[in-house]
Amino acid sequence: MNARLEVSHEPALAGPDIAESTARVVALDGDVAWLEPVPQASCSGCVSAGLCGTKSGNAKRMLAKRFALPNDAALRVGEQVVVGLSQQSLLRASAVAYGLPLFTMLGAMVAVSRVTMSDGPTILAALGGLAAGFGIARLLAGYLSRRGELTPHYLRRFVASGEGEACHPTSSV
Amino acid sequence: MQDLVLLIVSAALVNNVILARFLGLCSFMGVTTKVDTAIGMGMACTFVITVSSMADWGVDHYLLVPYGLGYLRTVTFILVIAAAVQFTEMVIRKVSPALFKTLGIYLPLITTNCAVLGVALLLVEQKMNFVQSTVFAFASSLGYSLVMAIFAGLRERVALANVPRLFAGPPVGFITASLLALAFMGFSGMSTN
Repeated sequence: MNARLEVSHEPALAGPDIAESTARVVALDGDVAWLEPVPQASCSGCVSAGLCGTKSGNAKRMLAKRFALPNDAALRVGEQVVVGLSQQSLLRASAVAYGLPLFTMLGAMVAVSRVTMSDGPTILAALGGLAAGFGIARLLAGYLSRRGELTPHYLRRFVASGEGEACHPTSSV
Repeated sequence: MQDLVLLIVSAALVNNVILARFLGLCSFMGVTTKVDTAIGMGMACTFVITVSSMADWGVDHYLLVPYGLGYLRTVTFILVIAAAVQFTEMVIRKVSPALFKTLGIYLPLITTNCAVLGVALLLVEQKMNFVQSTVFAFASSLGYSLVMAIFAGLRERVALANVPRLFAGPPVGFITASLLALAFMGFSGMSTN
């Protein structure tokens, strides 16, 4: 496995404030199970998803998304499980990854556009703000990672729901 | 400054991407089961719509218009949006692999969201400059996120209600969405754009 091993042994999460998603066990390494998220697009709940190509996952990209969990539930390769993360942690993660760079980018762009009306310097300022935002995001993501807020937890084995609905979410997201 | 504020109100509330232009309905119905997740997804969409609209504006302004290639606009924009999403994923992966994995598990891909393409085409149609385009794209996606969050809150309530079996699931979701659209019609008249 080329990914760095980050296994959380914290107690399992429970309750309604948990974001759930499905992952497939792809390898076992001692008492650690390696999982890949089941590919999903925002519209993957639709039964036509297989026809329009949104459901197919790029193999290289999926490899990068592999993560490890302690194999306390005696999982086997090929099994699908439900993994959970606190909603607040997910919200913080998306704020750090998307909200912060966007905020710095727009801030820099508007500030420079007040000084000059030309598009060139404004575009450069926006790019600079974006880069600065990602720099700050890197620091904050490291902090969240050290606190274990970015590590999903095993919840239960996945049980497929019945078919028949044209559009329904595959997970709770 | 006042024109930018009017642009924000117009794009986010009056001409809302979901409720007035009917774009991004699939993610609107598919991802809005929990408020926090809807907000997370909204932030991801806001970022992608804003960044890809900026890139689309640049491509249109410096490449398609000067060389008379306007007829390639839709195809080019799709390509630029896909590239912007890939670029975003790549940057986040470099910035923090842990963050990349977490978001990869829980927040779905948004490459095929029609709202992204719709906003890019709208801002080109309206012949805006760079700042106006970016603010318009940001405000449109902010309106998209706002509606996602409100609708997720409503669906959380509806999930607890005793809905007739015939209407359970997407039908009651669309009825709720139509009531929300009626509520947003109250913003009409705040801006003429």
